[in-house]
Amino acid sequence: MTTETTHVRLTVNGRVYERTVEPRLLLVDFLRHELGLTGTHVGCAHGVCGACTVIMNGETVRTCITFAVQAEGAQIKTVEGLAENGRLNPIQQAFHENHALQCGYCTPGFLMTVTEFLDENPDPSENEIRHALAGNLCRCTGYVNIVRAVRAAAEKMRSGAVQR
Amino acid sequence: MAQTYARGPIGQSTLRVEDDPLLKGLGAFVDDVAPPKNTLHLGFVRSPHAHARICSIDTSAAKRLPGVVDVLTGRDLVDLMKPIQVDPDKPGFKITHRLAVTIDKARFVGDTVAVVVAENPYIADDAVEAVAVEYEALPAVVSLDASLAPGAPKIHDYIADNVIYENEQKTEGFDAVFTAAPHKFVRTFRTSRIAVASMEARGCIAIFERGLGTLTFWTSTQVPHIVRHALSEMLGLSDSKIRVIAPDVGGGFGMKAYLYPEELVAAALAIKYRGSFKWVQDRVDDFLTSNHARDQQYKMSYAVSAEGIIKAIRADILVNIGAYASFPMGSSLEANGGPRNMPGPYDFAQFAFRTRAVATNTCPTGAFRGVSAPSTFFSVEGMMDTIAKELGLDPVELRRRNLVTKFPYTNAMGQRYDTGSNGECLDRALELSGYVAYRRSQPASRLLDGKYRGIGVATVTEQTGQGASRYKERGLYRVPGFDAALIKIEPSGKVSAFVSQAAQGQGHLTTWSQIVAQELGVVPSDVTVIQGDTATVPFGSGTFASRGAILAGGAIIRATKIIRDKVKRIAASVLEASATDIEVADGYAFVAGVPKMRVALSDIASIAYSLDARLIPEGEEHGLEAIAHYDPPTSTVSNATHVAFVAVDPATGAIEVERYVVVHDCGRVINPMIVDGQVHGAISNGLGQVLSEALIYDESGQLTTTTLLDYHLPTALDMPTIQMEHMETPSEITLGGFKGVGEGGVIGAVPALAGAVRDALSPLGIEIIRLPLDPPYVLSMIEAAKAKRTN
Repeated sequence: MTTETTHVRLTVNGRVYERTVEPRLLLVDFLRHELGLTGTHVGCAHGVCGACTVIMNGETVRTCITFAVQAEGAQIKTVEGLAENGRLNPIQQAFHENHALQCGYCTPGFLMTVTEFLDENPDPSENEIRHALAGNLCRCTGYVNIVRAVRAAAEKMRSGAVQR
Repeated sequence: MAQTYARGPIGQSTLRVEDDPLLKGLGAFVDDVAPPKNTLHLGFVRSPHAHARICSIDTSAAKRLPGVVDVLTGRDLVDLMKPIQVDPDKPGFKITHRLAVTIDKARFVGDTVAVVVAENPYIADDAVEAVAVEYEALPAVVSLDASLAPGAPKIHDYIADNVIYENEQKTEGFDAVFTAAPHKFVRTFRTSRIAVASMEARGCIAIFERGLGTLTFWTSTQVPHIVRHALSEMLGLSDSKIRVIAPDVGGGFGMKAYLYPEELVAAALAIKYRGSFKWVQDRVDDFLTSNHARDQQYKMSYAVSAEGIIKAIRADILVNIGAYASFPMGSSLEANGGPRNMPGPYDFAQFAFRTRAVATNTCPTGAFRGVSAPSTFFSVEGMMDTIAKELGLDPVELRRRNLVTKFPYTNAMGQRYDTGSNGECLDRALELSGYVAYRRSQPASRLLDGKYRGIGVATVTEQTGQGASRYKERGLYRVPGFDAALIKIEPSGKVSAFVSQAAQGQGHLTTWSQIVAQELGVVPSDVTVIQGDTATVPFGSGTFASRGAILAGGAIIRATKIIRDKVKRIAASVLEASATDIEVADGYAFVAGVPKMRVALSDIASIAYSLDARLIPEGEEHGLEAIAHYDPPTSTVSNATHVAFVAVDPATGAIEVERYVVVHDCGRVINPMIVDGQVHGAISNGLGQVLSEALIYDESGQLTTTTLLDYHLPTALDMPTIQMEHMETPSEITLGGFKGVGEGGVIGAVPALAGAVRDALSPLGIEIIRLPLDPPYVLSMIEAAKAKRTN
């Protein structure tokens, strides 16, 4: 179609990337296929399921309904940026210990949503957790163990048992 | 006598080895796999008509787009592949042929009429839009009733009545018993068509390895070996030159237990052009073309004694199979799933059924977790609730009077239940849920705090781990039925297990390692499980129909036995003892009762691979590996009781699930944590089917629910907290005592939730006979009931 391209410069997980892209390139395809960060998944491509969630400038965004050019100058954190030195962070660890993932396809989106949520609400009630998760869809777990994992992660992070 | 099992890795909630990469974003789903350079991307032009003659296809505009390599129609592809043909030439079956890309007619919205090949997926999307197809629209049939009506349009010219599959059976003496019973009850139940909507849709990468002349085929499937066999048969490339790899798969639930036309096209083009072709489906296309399920109707007639004992059941079942039969399960899967599951946990001897799979101008239907059983038990348990009410009995009491509690038992379909715990699960579930107290305090109006509140109890069975004989008997010749394991103690003493099952989130890498560890006396972390790659794992059926634990478990037990015996013989030679005195545990082979006389498995491996100063004992083959297959003699039955508590808001029709209790028995449990997860997820699938999920075609055959905004999956807000307990009644016919667990949660959740709504709305005289119970439908029933009262 169009051969028009635009220059994009952004920071992902602390590293600066510069690319020339078509204006219509979605941010999720940019992350996955231009940068090779394939942990962010596409579940619906219409902004409903939350599998493609990343944190951009401190807020969660759905990268399947965001263009790469909209991320010009942004600071982005993806699932690949959660573990430190290869070790699971407290949220990832809680998902592991509570069997909060099965096929694992939706998991990166949940992790990013929970990252933002626990940052804003370190001591949530079960009802608050369920509301926070309601924008992410999972077909495997029935959310039972995801809710448990979020509660466990919140407790652990509050108690400071693990350094963040 | 029930066998007792030694404690060990089996039975532990071992945390999953799958998790680490998935949590770090390092999973490898099909679209995460880096394809070779210059891989071309496919786009499929789907018919916008439910039924239409294809008059002409103009590909010129699409071909002119920069980055478009080619546009192909059915005529360009027809010589590259055989039509998809599944069902056997057997009474009751009609054989259908499906072209991957249709030539003459489109038979549903989503049928493929052309394929574009482009440099990237964005250009492929542009090109799909630019293909101009001229159609002559034909009258379409969408519903069961329309398809069966006299003079209905034919979906396939060679099937006059649109009935693709039919089966009718009756036990001897049925009519007399049915007629003689004092009470007769008849109801017709209907369940909506639903979608699997796995979070990862479908996709594949076909890579022709030019030097070797082989095809490497990555695909999001549950059945890699069946896909390889089908590609070979339909494309004419020897199976020995095809390698199918199912990498991480983002959910399957039965929908990915099929070969799809897009896979055939991608593989055919890779072979023809000696290149690489990739296709990744989007969600709208998934709703349009990935197999749907459970568009079914059950007319149930019960003959019951004065005491509420079921004397005879007649069922007339209709299944909307869509436009084509799908490979390898064919047209009979759902149609036979109904009667096969219908006897369930109840004791009755007289059974008559007629079941038909009916073609329509809609997307093909097929397996979805539980296959027909959730709809079957919606009908069976719906009848139990209805009969209890009519006879003035408590619904639990009616069930108790009819439950199978003595084992072994052979049901009216001739199927044997070797062990079970129907009564025990019911008792425990009633205790945990406080059923008796709840009933005692329940107001007759069912109104509490302005909402109708009710309780539903369902006692269900789940048929699991079917072997080859069952599939042959059902006419499913394309399903092998057995599975296999190749186990190697490697030269280091560590273990590799190559298993023919392929997981979509069930945690096989963890659970199989537990079984191997138990059988070889090592720890699970010393066992690496390999799956999903036909180049390395032995031939087998794959993962579907709650068969993993039984089939893989049995194959692993058989293969490890061969290796263990060899370990014992080598150890006996080293320790100068008799092989019959050697035991294997904790990484050592030792003389029974003399644990100090021992040799490490790693030393035995060194000897077996001739990496040690010692020679392998005379007469022994080198190496320390074995392959074994397992084909269980029949199917094995798990059972459960589900109890649901709901509140129905009369102002909105919205239903809230307030509490949920399940007591479940899947035999010997390998990993309780994973079993819990399977049941949780299955309950959420059942909750979706009852409360919100419906694929809706309009009368012209347009699917009106093609996004996740229109098709409502349960969210974290919809799911209750689940209280769960397990009973463990090992199977006496499967190796290891395992029973399957994948589907039982849906099978129990659908009738329990529907029953709870039935109880809540019972004072209004509302019958629950149709799913889903979405708010507008519930509200309309409440308003109609109230209007009736005031008139």
